[in-house]
Amino acid sequence: MWNDIYYFIMVPMVYIAFATFALGILFKFAVVAFSPGIKGKLGAYPRRLPRPLGVAKDAFAVPVAFRKSKVFWFFIVAYHISFALLVIGHLELIDEFAALQIIPHQVFLGAGWVGIVLMVSTLYFLFRRFRYPYNGISIPEDYLILILLFFSLFFGSHMNLASRHLDFMFDVSKMREYLQSLIALRPVLPEDIVSSYHNIMLALHVLFANLFLMLFPFGKMVHSVFAFCTLNLKRK
Amino acid sequence: MEKEKLRELKKLIASRLTRPMRYYLDTCTRCGLCYDSCHAYYGIPKKEYSPVGRAEVVRRAVKKHFRPSGRLFPYWGDATALDERVMDEMKEAAFSCTGCRRCMMYCPFGIDMPYILGIAKVLLIGYGNAPEELVMLADAAVEKGRSIDEFKEGFRSVIGDMELEVQKRLGLPSADDLIPMEKKNADVLFVGLSGAHSIIHPAVIFNAAKENWTLSFFEAVNFGMFAGDPEKMQFIADRVVNEAKALGVKEVVIVECGTAYRIPKFLLGPLPFKVTSIAEKIHQYLAEGRIRVKEGAIAEPLTYHDPCQLGRNAGVFEEPREILGRLAADYREMSPTREYNWCCGGGGGLVALDNEEFRIKTGKAKKDQIDATGAKIVVSACENCILQLNTIKDGYGLDVEVKSLSELVAENLVV
Repeated sequence: MWNDIYYFIMVPMVYIAFATFALGILFKFAVVAFSPGIKGKLGAYPRRLPRPLGVAKDAFAVPVAFRKSKVFWFFIVAYHISFALLVIGHLELIDEFAALQIIPHQVFLGAGWVGIVLMVSTLYFLFRRFRYPYNGISIPEDYLILILLFFSLFFGSHMNLASRHLDFMFDVSKMREYLQSLIALRPVLPEDIVSSYHNIMLALHVLFANLFLMLFPFGKMVHSVFAFCTLNLKRK
Repeated sequence: MEKEKLRELKKLIASRLTRPMRYYLDTCTRCGLCYDSCHAYYGIPKKEYSPVGRAEVVRRAVKKHFRPSGRLFPYWGDATALDERVMDEMKEAAFSCTGCRRCMMYCPFGIDMPYILGIAKVLLIGYGNAPEELVMLADAAVEKGRSIDEFKEGFRSVIGDMELEVQKRLGLPSADDLIPMEKKNADVLFVGLSGAHSIIHPAVIFNAAKENWTLSFFEAVNFGMFAGDPEKMQFIADRVVNEAKALGVKEVVIVECGTAYRIPKFLLGPLPFKVTSIAEKIHQYLAEGRIRVKEGAIAEPLTYHDPCQLGRNAGVFEEPREILGRLAADYREMSPTREYNWCCGGGGGLVALDNEEFRIKTGKAKKDQIDATGAKIVVSACENCILQLNTIKDGYGLDVEVKSLSELVAENLVV
């Protein structure tokens, strides 16, 4: 039975998660695209930079948070930079990308620090929610998404650190074989992965990542895209 | 709530689910950075008066009725069905908000919370629970728009008295045509308010500048906007738009009323004429040398309150300061200022409601700001702000005088 559960998490559930994620995002975008626009402008002032630059500054440097709370700002920036590196790291788990190896590095990027920074940041976001006044405005979804993310990061980071420092993790080529087979819709779970010391860790990592992906389009995570739209409106 | 009523309210929500609304509803992460950015929260520190607290009331209802996740897993998203209690919360949220959009400055995504509260306002109208005062005033403005010819004669006779006052102020030999009306192809159509002061001071300035202008029959204030009724807002605004088109004017100058300026300037889409605030127009006259003021004539310390709709919502920051810089010998800036300036608590039609005690409490941030400047004169360029600043002054016993920008300029013109 455990083998079936393991296989379900590693293969069918990954497809389900990505399908839910993709369809959910598409649905979300379609709903927005077919909603009526407005004839007026909702912008605010002052506007010291041209609109695209201003939007980029507001989105990437988060000056609003910097002004209000330096600690929160630090974790927001650290989290988002690390998340970008995390995405690159996962791309490199799928295949080699010469463009990503301009500065040669071992897969995963960041020598293990990316996962640690993400975990600490996620914990900060989570525990911040328990504090007044943020506990009063937080809803179960806010905690859930952070908990799922934390566990996914915890197990993923654990595997990354183990492979770097303890030298008993499956190699990257086996991960690529697995991920490429998923992409090719001919899923294979290499024996080296199934029988590795970390197979449970990997399953848990994938399980929480799957759940996170499935929730992504239906909650506040869409801010990752819509933030650019709202910031654009602010400067329009 | 009855099914039929619920269906009707859901339709109203749907009518407000524009693209920006969907962005705003979906993007908020409840990070709480806006939490204490509202003047109402400063005065009454309750979650219900925090911007995110207000927006959540609307977001929860939208989630429940318009999101599959809200229907399937209401607990996770705190989705809440519309009922009497929720409607009460909506009223508290919508009509404690002045629409100043200070919270937008503290939102990392620039979410327009008052825009979200537009859903609450339209629901309250549908539910029959919107503030009666605002609804009645909006209806009166609509009625005036429908039957303007009946109002014209009475209005002309009142204007005649105002012309005499303008003549006296400028020391002119005749009062004839000092406040022209229905003047075709005038350069400027000025839109005032119902109070005489809102017309006399600008009229003095227009005449001193030898402007080719005409006065609108309508008042600039838009109670349709305050009540949250998009149709009435449009109708009330269209009265002036149609008048300007019929007269063929080049520019519409709006009296000191922030919302009345923001609506034609930003919310109606492209118009065939320029829209300017009286503050900008006075600044232009001074820059062009068409009027002169007594430089440094005001010796007492003076400060300026940025009307939210004119400042952070329309970008008119420097013009009033440059005008006051000429008039005042001791100009003092409030802190925080410009886009971060605290709202006085009178906007959004709140000054028209029977809520003085609430407005005094929520005006505490402004009171503290004024206190900190040590100013003896507080100037603003918005009628709502001036009314509310006077309420704050009386409520806290402040030793200050509240003046409008045009009043100060008109009093200190070199004629």
